[in-house]
Parts: sequence; structure tokens; C-alpha cells
Amino acid sequence: MSFPSIVLHELILAIIVVLILVLLLIITVLGYSFYSYRILHNRHTWRQIIEYKIMETIVGSDGNDEQNREFSRYLKESSFRVLFLEILVDSGRKFSGAAKKAIDGLFFDFKLEDEAWRRLRQRKAYLVAGGIQELAEMNIEAAIPEIKAKLKDDRALVYQEAQYAMVTFLGYEGLEFLTHFDKPLSDWQQLRLLSSIHHIPELSDVQVYTWLKSTNDSVVIFTLRLIRKFRLMAFYPAIYALLDHVATSVRVQAIRTMQAIENSATIGQFITCFDQQPIEVKLEILKSMKVARSKESEDFLKKQLLDHPETSIKISAAEVLVVLGEEQYLREISQRTDTYDELIQIIKHALQEKKC
Amino acid sequence: MLILIAEDDELILRTVEHKLVKEGHEVVLTRNGQEAIEKIEELDFDLVVTDIMMPFASGIEILSAIKRHGKKVPVIVLSSMGQEEVVVDAFDLGASDFMVKPFSPNELILRIKRLTNK
Repeated sequence: MSFPSIVLHELILAIIVVLILVLLLIITVLGYSFYSYRILHNRHTWRQIIEYKIMETIVGSDGNDEQNREFSRYLKESSFRVLFLEILVDSGRKFSGAAKKAIDGLFFDFKLEDEAWRRLRQRKAYLVAGGIQELAEMNIEAAIPEIKAKLKDDRALVYQEAQYAMVTFLGYEGLEFLTHFDKPLSDWQQLRLLSSIHHIPELSDVQVYTWLKSTNDSVVIFTLRLIRKFRLMAFYPAIYALLDHVATSVRVQAIRTMQAIENSATIGQFITCFDQQPIEVKLEILKSMKVARSKESEDFLKKQLLDHPETSIKISAAEVLVVLGEEQYLREISQRTDTYDELIQIIKHALQEKKC
Repeated sequence: MLILIAEDDELILRTVEHKLVKEGHEVVLTRNGQEAIEKIEELDFDLVVTDIMMPFASGIEILSAIKRHGKKVPVIVLSSMGQEEVVVDAFDLGASDFMVKPFSPNELILRIKRLTNK
């Protein structure tokens, strides 16, 4: 056997092997694409079937036997049940009243609780979060201990959903986690939680004071928003004390809250603390004065307009003076010969804003 | 009565449609704002129910189109939480009523009855 013929023979073999591998790869890719297409197509068809079922339930028509049989057949598939559960949770957020009750009824009629429990015990964060959401939506109180344990999960998706679920189940009492919560509470999460609390029990003072003293700024800010929502006047002195807080964002929220639950001392307190505050807080104070429309702040505002070195403060002060009806005073200042150009422009801008 | 529903959520659209048909109304469905504006130009509706946020044109643009064409038709706006400012704009443009999602379809029917009985 000569050397070149061996090489040629092996080369042909190698080419055949490569071709077979390429063919296998093509078959695999085609197979996978077909599988993905089937899943997508199924999900689309299933979504239509499920939404039709939900719509039928809401409007109170039972559908025909054939449709019901077909629906029952689909229900035997686990992925159909998971999609059904997802769509039900989503639909529950679109309707209220009798429609919402009808949707809730579907959870139990089709025994979707087991599916939700299974998801709660999965490893992947999005599945666990989905399970929490579904159990809370179905109001399965037996899930509270397991969901409560998820408050300590390190994954934001899981602990945020657990926080929301606890508040959905227990209302204000569900906020207990705030006492030891050391991660940032996002603005979105704060709004979700706030929108789910409809009542504050009478004996809530101790907890609210604890949260106001939290080392977690986002917990303090959330508490201030809670106080604003429920106009909890009793906390006014504690909020005033927050004007010395290290975080500017907390001070800004404290100003907003003081304005929301203002009393006869509020404007005076704003004026007293003004000089010690950073620019963001000063601007917030001026915004609050604009809302309060108190004549008590008039002299203070005139002083800021004339003497404050910051242009943004001058602009805000001029705008509040316009709201207080001091247009004539502003016109006089702008017409004086010793008034500098920048101030004239600021006053013109404020008067113009009023016209707009 | 001929009612236009402009809503991009299929479930809401179908549910409201069924409720209204059950009440004996004739219903035209549109899934985006542009389509709704075209229908408004084409037909004379007795009432319009529109979502605020929709593809191609918003509920506010639908209200503007109604005003531009001088059509006197009551409009119920469906909004989501946090869209209060847009709702104020909608009233400035002539909206007759609004409902915040999640909403009750039964209540929507009552409001439609109230508006069309005037």
C-alpha cells in the first residue's frame, strides 16, 4: 500500500464524517426551530382559548359542551395549566367587582393551587416569584409561612414579590419586614406596597416610630409616604426632627410630609431651618410654600428673591410670590433703576409663567 | 345604539363587547388609536369607550379628533393608576366620564346607561 493512497482514503473518510456532523447539526437546528415554533404557536392558540374562557366566565355564558371538553383536554397538559395560571393572575389585575370574583372562582374550579405551590418550590427566581404572585392572588392563606420565609431570599425578584404578597395578605401588618430590612426599597416597590394598604390600625405608633429611625433611608422615605397617605398628624414632631437627617432625599420627603400634614407652625419652621439646608431641600421648601399659599412666608420670600446667591432659589421665590398675589411688588422691583438684569429676567419669567 | 370601543387589551375588549351586545347595543371594536380615529371619521357613534394608552394614537388623540371633527359624542376614558394628569387633560378635551383599571365591567355598563339616558 502506497503512502499517498492511505492519505487519500483517510481524507475521504474525514470529509464524510464532517458532512455527517454538519447534517446532524442541520437536523438538530431544524428540529429545535420547529419545536420552538410549536411552543410559540401553542402559546398563542392557548392564550386565545384561555382568554375566551375567562371572558365567558366574566360575562356569565357557559360556552358549549364541545368547547368545555376541549378546554378540559388541554388542562391535562402541565404547560397549559401554567399559562392558564399566568393569564388568570394577569386578568385579575384588569378587573374589579363581580368580574374579579368570577376570575378568582376559576382558580379554584380548575384546582390551579397545586400548580402555584409547585412553582413556589422551584429553584429559579422567576418561577418562585410567579408562584408567590399566584398564591397571593388566590388568597391562599396557608402559603403565608412559606412566603414569609422568602422575605429573606437574596434575590430581589423573590423578596420583592414576597413583600408585596405579605401586604396583600395582611395589609399594614404585612409591613413588619421593614423593621429589619437593610436593602434599598425601590420607588416602584414603595408605590406597589402603598397602593395595597387601605387601613392603618390604631396601635401602629411604635412601629412607625421605629421605621422613621431606620438606618435604611428607603424605609424612612417609605414611612414618610405612608404618613402622607394616611395623614398621620401625630408624627409631625418626629418628621420635623428628620430635617437634620444625613440623607438629603429623606429631608426632601420630610418637607413634603410636613406640608401634607401642616399645622400653624409649619411655615415658621420652614423659614427657621431654611439656611441650614442643602439646595435641593431649599427648593422643596419653596415648592411647599407655593402649595401652602401662606402670607406668613411673604417677607421671607422677598428676602430670598433679593439676597439669595442661587438663581434657582430666586426663580422659585419669585414664582411663589406670584402665587401669593405679589405681582405689583415684582413689577415695581423690575422697574427700579438699580435692579440688575438677571433679577429683571427672573421676575419677567415668573410673571410670564402666571400668564401661561 | 352604536358604540365604539378602543382598547388594545384583547380580554378587556372582548369582555366589554359581550356585555354591550348582551345589552342590545351595536359595537365596533378597534385595537389601536389610529384605527379608532378612522372609525370616528367614518361613522356616527352614540358613545365612545377608549383606553388612554394605545398603539399609534392615544385616547387623548382620539378625543382631539372628535373635537376637531365637531362630533358631539359622549366619551368614557379608561385609565390606569398613576394617569391622573392625563385624565385631567382628557376632561379638558371633552371626556364625559372616566374609570380607573382595574374596573368593573358592570359599573361601566351602568355609566354608559347613565350617559346615554341624558
